[in-house]
Amino acid sequence: MVRIGIMSFAHMHAYGYAASLGQTGEATLAAVYDDDVNRGQEAAQQFNAPFEADIDAFLASDLDAVIITSENIKHRSMAEKAAAAGKWILCEKPLATTVEDAAAIVEACRAADVGLGTAFPCRFASPLAVLRHQVAAGEFGAIYAASCTNNGQFPGGWFGDRDLAGGGATMDHTVHVADLLRWMLDREFTKVYCENGHLHGRDTELDDVGCLHLEMEGGIIVSHIASWNRAKSYPTWGDVTIEFIGEKGVAFVDAFNQKINVYNDSAMRGAWAGWGDNPDLGLVQEFVDSVRDRRAPSVTGVDGLKATEVTVAAYESMASGKTITL
Amino acid sequence: MKVALIGSGGIGAVHAQMATNCGLTIAACGDTIEEKANALAQRFGTEATTDCEALIQRDDIDIVAVATPTPTHAHYVIKAAQAGKAIFCEKPFCRTLEQCEAALEAVETAGVKLFIAHVVRYFHEFEALKAQIEAGQVGKPGFVKCYRGGIYPMGENGWFRDYAQSGGVTLDSSVHDFDWVRYVFGDPERVYCQALQRPEPLDYALTTFRMKSGIIAHVIGTWAHPTGFRVKVEVCGDNGMVTFDSNEAPLEVMKRATEGSGPSMIVPGSPVAVSPYQREWEDFIAWLRKERPPRVTPEDGAWSLRMALGALESAASGEPVTF
Repeated sequence: MVRIGIMSFAHMHAYGYAASLGQTGEATLAAVYDDDVNRGQEAAQQFNAPFEADIDAFLASDLDAVIITSENIKHRSMAEKAAAAGKWILCEKPLATTVEDAAAIVEACRAADVGLGTAFPCRFASPLAVLRHQVAAGEFGAIYAASCTNNGQFPGGWFGDRDLAGGGATMDHTVHVADLLRWMLDREFTKVYCENGHLHGRDTELDDVGCLHLEMEGGIIVSHIASWNRAKSYPTWGDVTIEFIGEKGVAFVDAFNQKINVYNDSAMRGAWAGWGDNPDLGLVQEFVDSVRDRRAPSVTGVDGLKATEVTVAAYESMASGKTITL
Repeated sequence: MKVALIGSGGIGAVHAQMATNCGLTIAACGDTIEEKANALAQRFGTEATTDCEALIQRDDIDIVAVATPTPTHAHYVIKAAQAGKAIFCEKPFCRTLEQCEAALEAVETAGVKLFIAHVVRYFHEFEALKAQIEAGQVGKPGFVKCYRGGIYPMGENGWFRDYAQSGGVTLDSSVHDFDWVRYVFGDPERVYCQALQRPEPLDYALTTFRMKSGIIAHVIGTWAHPTGFRVKVEVCGDNGMVTFDSNEAPLEVMKRATEGSGPSMIVPGSPVAVSPYQREWEDFIAWLRKERPPRVTPEDGAWSLRMALGALESAASGEPVTF
């Protein structure tokens, strides 16, 4: 059994990862650390794991690996400590809120010779994986353009706090799609322009919508909406969509549109119940495999760094009013 | 009232029908290509001519409807204004700002009425979206996204396929959404655009406006799809959202291309009793009858042109363009 600890349940994805660990059949949630003792103890109880309030004691234990699901701004300090303790690391996205922090995390893991993965579960969403395969097989010929979205409801809490999140919707919802495009097209980003702002009255001072224009190697043009603009009454949390325009055809993927419509009078609004594969399980399974085999996870820290570069450039563009060249 | 139709192609035929539906008479169908003028004139039981300028001058003409390729709009608008005719001009208003200024000046000098056919303002679904927004259903709007397009159109001699003439999907198709976004959310502050403009041809334009109000408007135009036509709109505010997708239509018709279960094409249909194209003619005619001002002013036509040309300028320079 691979012994994995979770560092912080600040990010709600921690619950999905914890549940997935048990489902792999090869890993166990061996310990929970959280700087919020109450939250950590509750989560530990929920997943039948011991809670450890002392980060050094947590890392000194016989864990093989950790999953870091803290507030964005704490990723670096936790990752550096975990790397120094020789733990394999799966870090929630965004890897960091600055390029400097992301690079430091990558370097710390390289120096400690531990595997570092960035939690981009969308790579394990089957509709996206199938489309990637079709693109790679040349079914669309050259890809010329893409328009994308990662819309969501406002998550609230620390996500709206600049000192903990490092940015708003643009910070939260750019990296998934930036990573998907790099992965699907095997190209790097070259240019970034962004318009964003606090335009939906969400309970935060931060941007709640970002509209990005990107260019990739070979002149591929891309637009991307990173938002918290889904209404509270919207039938689901949000979406990840990409439309590709290619030489031989076009494709549109709505990654989580594997759903049944649910109309429940107690809720008084329609809701979607997803039935597709669980991407969290794919992500966690691959991480567990990498820990067991003592190799790097397939979605690396560098992938997290590259996605962070796009986000940081988006904020620079908004501040300067200019296109940023990467 | 009698209408001189200048340009007897696809959209010219639509306007001839709509004007007829409104009780107007098509006095003649003009086109520089004789066969096109003849074919449409025969359909409407009227005369054909290749001498459009002479047609404009005729005393019995009250209205000149300009439905030619974009680069010649200004020429005919100016001729019609000088002849003292009321003018119905297909969008986009012109190909260049210089043409637009000259046309506006001629119209003002002559004191004639000019209507730019931004028909999307008259589409029922767009009226319903606007009504919902104005009724406060989304709260304060912050973001709007419009998507429009399908296959790359051809046009006579493939003029749509010449970016120098048509301006591609940005100027010819996204301009519908540019106009509607400004109609509902006010003037833009700046624009950023990426336009594909490939030689095949194949065009895809990604345009973002920052409105003076701070609202972000993202417009996607495609002439890159192998088939079909689709329109999507989404408006998000601080208390809700409204969305529209033309694929969610009341009619779904599937034609069998071969005997048995051969390949087929799905054509969604959304019938309404009165076409938006007729409703824009009705609005224009009501203006001519001094009943009310029209929904689209010449300045609106000029603004949507500025927005499209600003987008193309941004696409060329790679930087935002401020209005």
